[in-house]
Parts: sequence; structure tokens; C-alpha cells
Amino acid sequence: MFWIKRLLSIILAVAGCYAVDRIATGSLDSYGQRLIILAGLYVTLAVSLNLINGITGQFSIGHAAFYQVGAYLTGYLSVTFYAKSSLQGIPWLVAMVLAGGVFAAIAGLVVGLPSLRLRGDYLAIVTLGFGEIIRILVQNNAKLGGSYGLNVAPKFQSIWLVLLLAVVCIAVCRNLLKTAHGLPFLSVREDEVASLAMGVNVTKVKVSAFIIGSAFAGAAGALLAHYEGFITPQTFRMDVSFIILTMVVLGGTGSITGSALAAVFLSYLPEYLRGLKAAGGGPLTVSGAGVIAALLATAFAVALIKRIMDAGLGSPTRRGLTYLGILVGGIVAQFVLSMGLSAIKPLAAAQIEAGQLRMVIFAVTLIVLMLLRPQGVFAHHEFSWDFVKRLFGAKNVKTTEIAA
Amino acid sequence: MHLAHQLVAGLDFPTLPQQLVNGLLLGAIYALIALGYTMVYGVLRLINFAHGEVYMLGAYVALFASYFLGFNPQAATTPVSTAFNLLVMLAASMTVCAIVGVLIERFAYRPMRRNSRIASLITAIGVSLLLQYGGALFLPNSPPPSISEKVNPYSQSKFTVTLVPPSPAAVEKAAKARPEFEKLQKEFDAYLARTGESRFDLSPAGKELRQRTQDAEKTYGDAQRAVESGGIRLIIQAGQLIIFVTTLILMGLLTFLVLKTKQGRAMRAVSHDFDSAALMGVNVNSIITFTFILGSALAGAGSMMNATFLGTPLTTFYGLQPGIKAFVAAVLGGIGNIPGAVVGGLLMGVAETLVVWAGYSPYRDAIAFVILIVVLLFKPGGLLGSDKVEKV
Amino acid sequence: MMRERFSFKLALAAIAFGIAIGCNGGSGTAGSGNAGTSTPTTSTEGGGGTTGARSMPTAEGNKATGEISIGLVASQNGELRPWGVDCVNGAKLAIEEFNKAGGVGGKQVKLLIEDSGSNPEQGKSAAEKLISSGVLGLVGEVSSGITGQMAQSAFEKGVPLVAVGATNPSITKIGANVFRVCYTDDMQGPVMARFAYEELNLRKVAVLTDVKQPYSTGLSASFAKAYKELGGEIVDEQSYETGQTQFSGQLTNLKAKNPDGLFLSGYFPEVGPIARQAKEAGLNVKMLGGDGWDSSEILNSGGEAILGSYFCNHYNNKENRPEVKDFLSRWTAKYGGEPATTMGALGYDATMLTLQALKTAKGTTSKDLTEALENTTAFNGVSGAINLKGNAGDPPKRALVVELTKQGQVFAKAYEASEFKK
Repeated sequence: MFWIKRLLSIILAVAGCYAVDRIATGSLDSYGQRLIILAGLYVTLAVSLNLINGITGQFSIGHAAFYQVGAYLTGYLSVTFYAKSSLQGIPWLVAMVLAGGVFAAIAGLVVGLPSLRLRGDYLAIVTLGFGEIIRILVQNNAKLGGSYGLNVAPKFQSIWLVLLLAVVCIAVCRNLLKTAHGLPFLSVREDEVASLAMGVNVTKVKVSAFIIGSAFAGAAGALLAHYEGFITPQTFRMDVSFIILTMVVLGGTGSITGSALAAVFLSYLPEYLRGLKAAGGGPLTVSGAGVIAALLATAFAVALIKRIMDAGLGSPTRRGLTYLGILVGGIVAQFVLSMGLSAIKPLAAAQIEAGQLRMVIFAVTLIVLMLLRPQGVFAHHEFSWDFVKRLFGAKNVKTTEIAA
Repeated sequence: MHLAHQLVAGLDFPTLPQQLVNGLLLGAIYALIALGYTMVYGVLRLINFAHGEVYMLGAYVALFASYFLGFNPQAATTPVSTAFNLLVMLAASMTVCAIVGVLIERFAYRPMRRNSRIASLITAIGVSLLLQYGGALFLPNSPPPSISEKVNPYSQSKFTVTLVPPSPAAVEKAAKARPEFEKLQKEFDAYLARTGESRFDLSPAGKELRQRTQDAEKTYGDAQRAVESGGIRLIIQAGQLIIFVTTLILMGLLTFLVLKTKQGRAMRAVSHDFDSAALMGVNVNSIITFTFILGSALAGAGSMMNATFLGTPLTTFYGLQPGIKAFVAAVLGGIGNIPGAVVGGLLMGVAETLVVWAGYSPYRDAIAFVILIVVLLFKPGGLLGSDKVEKV
Repeated sequence: MMRERFSFKLALAAIAFGIAIGCNGGSGTAGSGNAGTSTPTTSTEGGGGTTGARSMPTAEGNKATGEISIGLVASQNGELRPWGVDCVNGAKLAIEEFNKAGGVGGKQVKLLIEDSGSNPEQGKSAAEKLISSGVLGLVGEVSSGITGQMAQSAFEKGVPLVAVGATNPSITKIGANVFRVCYTDDMQGPVMARFAYEELNLRKVAVLTDVKQPYSTGLSASFAKAYKELGGEIVDEQSYETGQTQFSGQLTNLKAKNPDGLFLSGYFPEVGPIARQAKEAGLNVKMLGGDGWDSSEILNSGGEAILGSYFCNHYNNKENRPEVKDFLSRWTAKYGGEPATTMGALGYDATMLTLQALKTAKGTTSKDLTEALENTTAFNGVSGAINLKGNAGDPPKRALVVELTKQGQVFAKAYEASEFKK
């Protein structure tokens, strides 16, 4: 039964990827296809970062470094060796994906080793610093294009390989989490000293987490390089690491489903914002007063909600209704405030395009999430077939969650 | 060995003293910011990612203060600046930064105190991004504005320390070449005024005169440059010296505050153990607020001085790099240790400048992180800090 | 335990590989939308290939059946914003006039604008977005790094591109459908070199380059080569990155080599502080630069130190030509004031050139537009006469060397393209 389920899942997943690819190339223009590819890449990145941050409890915020290592090294290989290689077409791309994974895994090893001695906050800065070092090294290397960027040839527009990588990443992480293989990772997350006392090889666990997480990021990087055909050091700047971090945090550190869904949502959001058109046909703008009013209203609403959350009064339904009430009140407050603030001329005059609000929305998401629900939207819950069964009313469903 | 030889051969040793001075002056700014980081980390065990943005806001406040004082680029006339203007800008920067720091602490960090450290760190990152990108929506960013140099009353004064005097022969040569050059210069200007020709579109006679003037200028210029490079001189701008001295004074005051006063004792107690300090009657919240006020005000002072005396153009992202480098400096000196922050900052500035001196200026920003990794691997407590590594 | 996990992953990988090979046998990789090919495309590298013949794109390009539109990519955000905003305003002025004068055979032309955010990847995706929405031609950009990528996309999709302010010579070599309305660094470098050598009598120049910008590295190389050919000496080269604010280290290094001139090939946000810090370090030499200095802000950030410096620009607002006076009056009428940078005029010229070519084109397809652009002769632009025919996309333009004074940019010397023909 088990193996049949497994095989079916694999075939379904691969067939699903292929199906999405055919549908996308048939009906969407290149812009739409680009969105799907970017979403797929971000899913891989978010889930692989979640392995390091959420499941193993390390704090790495320089994930873009591994992304960059994979992208640049495979890009360089393609530019130099593709013409002479015996592999052509898709097999070459697959080889590049594997190579990207290997290169990034080596980088992950390099970064993972110092992590053994460092606590959370120090590790965070070291990983960030590693990203910057890589970026500067690449920028000053003429063979990798330097500041001009690297033009990667040949270009592969392969949606299904991107989706397949995301599926493999999710599968690997899920299997790690749900089986006995993953228990050491979880125990290191919960209490390192106790794990050490229980005989867990903490070193091996931490370094493995970094290696696996970075390998997937590198593989995603290889796909990015060959899809875009052009990469610069700026493509992998610090902000990209923060964006991936936001996706993991929003989804819930430790929840693979959460990371994947958050990645899709957050990668689409900026494009959606940029595409918003005002009545006149130009991009949708909000006045400066409106933005400040929104920020203030959010702050008030969050403060109120947190007060109530911490106090824990009343039943959950009552609390839920109160939150809803606060949200509505917040929206009203925003309108009132923005009208009031519009009196200040420079604020009303400053027209801000919806697309420019992207990073501000990410930042506010991070803050609000941390204040109200630090475990993320999905916390540690995962999607499983049992959940679907329970949804449809089946009783006595065996719960297969091993780890909390 | 051969590589080391090549490396050394490429170095320009006469410029080393000036580069060391440059490094120390650059490091003073890092030290001011690092003081803020180290104090907050000392009491809260939190890397205040938003500190770099508080630094950035301080510079903008200084900019707007300078506009208010009349140094607006659009203004018809610019007033003459005095030290009073500088003090006004300094006070404004420090006050606003302190207020912003307190607000951030009160609304973003205090609610997170019961959560894990990583959650607080993520919040700090969020606040930092919010200030950067939110600020970019409202503050002038492109083209990046800079404080007019007329605000600085000391812009023309500089101190020169002569380590090795230039050869008297060179000085004499320059002195001899000067009157000849000035004479020809006057002649050429008179010629232009007389004939109305454009300086770059001359008749043959004009060209010939210009050529003679330029030859005299070259002789004089070469002689002057020989004087300059013949000896070893250190040029220190008055503004940079003010920054350096202020940093040292502030460090002294801060160390005195932490070691000798009651407030300082309370701060040290809180940084040791929150709950015990509270049990001892220390108002933990007010101590933390006080720490943030101090740290942010220092950052504001640093950025006001940096923007005014060095004339750097301001964008809302300009606090990011100095912020991270200052944090590395704080770690280098020993986090939680106030003299350590200053020592770390100065060392960081010198290290960066030496990298540029050695000819590797493209790698200047990378050196900070390399230092960080090396320090954390071999001496996690920093240079002046304790050696024990906390595992949990 | 590790071995089991490893073999499991290996199995998955093998399955994936097998499926990959299997699926490839069929219809190949997913295509790239409208005009792309489905086999992997080899994109040409900028600056590659032989001199002389530029290849025509193989792709069909866009065909306009109902509405005619052209696309503009500009840096409406980011560090190049001052130029981007001027460029957009110039383009809008052009299309307004053109449509008012009747458009193309009575039909109005639409201008679609996308933001490049001052960075090449966003510029590339902006260009691709415009191309897939059916524009016949593209206009933009100001920076060579961004334009290079846009040109690659334009070449792949067969759509013509008219660059506004990109001066790197490699851009027009990408394809025969890439043009520009400004001069190239092949002219700008030698112009400043000659000005430094002949007019200012400088013999030992130091170069300070922004290694993060392709424009700056290209211009520095071009200047250094020309200056050495004239007999001058490049005494030292130092570098910095966009966004840095402290240059004392590099300047002290430069000073030790005793230059009598300093060539700053970067963009204006850094050039101002560099000038100030140079004077403070005791480096009292003549400073020179390229069109990256062109802005209203440089006088403020450079303060006293930058007065008396020279840089190479495209035209000057105070010129006596009727096109300039006309343009300025229309700009003031619509926007008030004068354009802060030369990109206003260049944006106007690039757009108007494309629109006029639409009129003379045989049909409403990208291919016809490319042909019409190639055959443009004697277009009297605000920035000068633009002649594209037979010039491989690079019109011979006049270069103006201007001096920075308290009153702004003052004309110093003009150089004609013919003086530099190789």
C-alpha cells in the first residue's frame, strides 16, 4: 500500500508539472510564464531556507549567496563548455542543475562549519556577510562578467523543470521531516544541549541542514541563470535574502506547506501591485497621506489586537469577532486619518505608485507577523491527505504526525 | 615568498601615515555607531538592525535643519555659518534620533521581549526595511541631496603635520616659479578681456600666449607637487578632527556613566540578568529606554557630523553599509564593551583604508565581513571581551 | 541512516532525470511566447563579433493591426531617476506633438511606458513586457548596462530599439535593429583626452572609475587609450563602487603619484563628494568627466571644489540653434522651467525619430520600422543633426565640452564627429 501510494504520488507530481507546463506555454504569454517560473524558483528557495531556519532552528539570512553561487558557476560553465559538450538541450540543463546543487552545497559546507560555534544572531550576520563577500568577489571577477553581468547562453525556457525542482525540494524536506531521519534536526531545533546529551551528532545535523538547503538554492540558481539569460551581482543583493526570509516567516518556520504557499503569494504580489491600473490608464497611485494613514492605522490595530491576544479574555470566537471588529475599525480609521493628513500639502501631493510599496508591504508583513503570530500563518502544520479526509468528515482518521 | 615580495613592492610607503590618519578618521564614525549597537546588545542581547536607519534619519534631520537655517540650495542668498548653526543641527539630529529610537523600542522590541531572540531579530530586520523603503517614498532620494558646504564654518581650515619636511631645494624652486606663472596668468586674462576671445577658441597669437602660460603653470605645478611629495605631511581637516575628538569625548563620558554612576550600575545589572535586576528594584523598562536614547543620540550625532563635515550625499539606503560595518566593529571590539566598540570601530576604519592603500579598493567592503568571520572563529568574545563562548 | 536517505534522494533524482530525457524526445522545451524559438537560443554577447556587418534579427517582430504603439523603458525609480524622469517628459512631449500633427496617416500612436528601476534585470523584463504587448519599436535607455540587456531582448524578438543616452559602443553591435541618438564612448573618451592634452595642457592624468557601472569602466578605458595615444601618461588608476561615500583612501593613493589632472568617469552622485574630498586631501588638479556628470545636483554636492571642472555633454541649453530654443519654449509651456539634464532633449529626439520613422515606414510592422530607422537622414534633433543611414546605428554627433561654474554649465569647446573618424 505504502509503495503504491508513493509511486502514485511521484507520477502524479511529475505529470502535474508537465501538465502545468503545457497549459502555460499554450495559453499564457511570456510574461505569465515568467511569473510561474519565478514562483517556482521562490518556492524552492523558501522551502530550502525553511529547512535551515525552521526545521533545524539555525538562523541563516544570507540564502541569496547560495542562489548566486549556483547561478554564476553554472552560467559560466554553460558559456564556456556548452558548445563543445556532448550533452545538448535539456540533459545539459539537468546536468547544470545538479552541478549548481553541488557547487552550492560546497558553499553551504563552508558557511555551515562556523555555524557550529555561533549562536543565532551572530550566525545571522555571518551568513549575511558571506552573501556580501560572494557578491563582491563576483563583481570583481572579469570572467564572471563583473559589473556588466554574465550573459548566459544557451537560454532554456523550461517551466516543468522549475516545477519539478520545487516538487523534489518539497518532497525531500517533507520526507526528512516526517520520518525518523528528521528527528535529529527537530531535536537540535528544540534543545541543542539535550540533543547532545541524547547522543545526536549535532555537528553533522547542522552541517547537513546547510548542505541540503544550499544545494537546492544552488539548483534554483542554475535554473534562474539559464532562464533569464542574464545575471548581475545586483540580482542577488541582500534584499533578495530578506524577501525569502519573509516568505519563510509568513508561511511559518517549520511548515513546508506554509513556505511554499507564502512563496507563491509573495512572489506574485509585487507583480500584481505593479499591474494595478488607475482609472486613467497609468499605474495606480496612492497619496503619501494615504500611505502614512495606512501605516498608523495598522499600528493601532496591531497594538489593540496584541493587547487582547495577550490578555486572552473571552472565548476564541468572541476574540475572533473582536479582531474582525478591530480590523474594520482600522480601515475606517485609515480613511479618516488619510483625509486628515491630506491637509498637509506635501503629503497629499506625493503620489506613490502601488509597485513602489512592495518592500514596504514586505517589511510591515514581517513586523506584524512577529508581533501577532511569530510562528507564522501555518505554524508547524502541514498539508496532508489525512487533513483532507478529516475535512470531509471522516472520523477516526489516523494522525501520522510524529513531531509537533 | 615571491608573492609577498610582489605585494610589498607594490605598496607606496610614504602615503602610509596619511592613510592611517584617514583610517582613524573613518573609524571614528564607525565607533560612534558601534557604541549604539554595543549598548543595546549589552542590555537586550538584540542586534538592533534598525540602528543603521536611525543613523540615516539623523543625517536627513541635519539636512532639513540646514534648510531651515537658510542653507537651502534654492535660496537666493546663503547666510554665513557659525558654530551656533552646527550646534542647532547637532541638537536636532540627536533629539529626533533619540525619539525614533525610543519609539522603535517601545513598539517593536518591547512586545517581543518574551519571544525568542530570533523573532526579535526578524522584527528588527522588518523595522530596518520599513525605514529604508518607507523613507524612500517620502524623503528626497534621487538625486541624493547633500548638506551645503557653506554650513561648515571650518570648511577651509585644516591642520598640517609635517613628519618629514620637503627638501629646501624643491621649496626654493617652487618659490621661484611662482611669480613667473602669476605674471603670465595676468597677461593671458588681460588678453582675453581685451580681445573677447573664448579661452578654447583662440587665434594663433592667443594660442601661443596660452601655451606659455600653461608651460609656466606646469613648471610651477610640478615644483609644487615635488614639494608636496618630497616630504611626508599629514593633512587633517578641521571637521574630521572634530569628529574624532568628539568620539573620544563621548566614549569617555559613556564609560564614566556606565562605571561610576547609579544609572550605569543599573544598566550593567540589567545586562547581566533581567529578572534579578528587576527584583533588586531596577526599573528595567526605563533603563532600556535610557539605553536606546543614548545609543540613538550618539548615532544621530555621528551622522550629523558625517553629513556636514564630509558632505556625503544622502539616500535612505546609506545607513545600511555603515550599520553592518559598525556592528562588525562592535563584535571585533567585544560586544557589550564600550571601549571595545571604539577600538573596534577605529580598527575597522584602518583596516578598510589599508585595503584601499594596498590597491585592493574593489574589495574594501568585503574586508569587514572577513574580519567578522575571523574574529568569530578565533576569538568570539572580541578583542576586549571575555573569551567564554556561550553555547546556549 | 545517511545512506538510506542518500539512496532515496538518488532514486528520486534518477526518476527525474529519466523523465527529463523522456519528455525531451517529444516537442522539446517550452517555448518562449510570441516570437521566440523553442530550441535554446544563443544570445549574442555585447561587444562580440566582427567589426562591420551587424546581423539582422531572424525573428519576425511585431505587427500592428489596429492600434500602433511604441514602448519606452525609463528609470522612473532608483539612482538614475533624474535622467529617467527627464527622458519620460521629453518622450511625452514628442508624442503629444506628433499626435497633434496628425499621427501616422491620421492614426494616433500610443506610448507605453515601463519602469526599469535603474537596474538591468528590471529593464530587461520591462522591455520584454512591452514587446509582448505588441509595441512596434522600443525607446530607451539612459544607462549602457540597462540598454545592453534591452538590446539583447530586442534583437531576439526582432523589434527595433532606439537608445536614448547609452554611450557604450558595444550596444549597437548587438544587431542591425539597434540604434542610438547620442554619441558613443569611442568619441567621448578621445574628446576628453584631446581636450585635456591640447586645451588644458595636462600631461599626467589619474583615473578614478566606478567599477559597478559598465558605463564608467568603458569610458575610463576609452579615455585612457586615447590619452596615451596622444602622448599623455596615465599615472594611476583607482576604483570605487556606486553608493560609497568615503574616498580618502583612493585619493591619497592618487595624490602620491602627482597627477596634474583627474578623470572621473562615474555618475554624478559620487563625483560631487569625490571632488570635495579631493580638494580636502590637497589634490588641487583639474577634474574632467563624461556625460555622467550631467545633473543639477552636482553643483550642490561638489560645492566649491567642482567649480572649474570640465565634462563632455550632448548639447547645452544656452545654444543658439532654433531647435534648442523651440524645444525649450515648448518644454517650459508644458512642464515649467527647463529640463534639468540633457536626457530631456535626448528622450525627445529618440521618440520623435522613431515616430517620424513610423511615418516613412512602408507598413506597420517592426521590420518596416527597422528599415525606416536605418534610412533616417538629416533628422534635426534638439541635441543635433542625427544621421543613421549607413552608420551602423551610431550617428555622428557633436560633443560639447562644458565647464562647471557657479552659473551652471558653460560652453567651453565643441568637437565634431568628423574630427575623430578613424
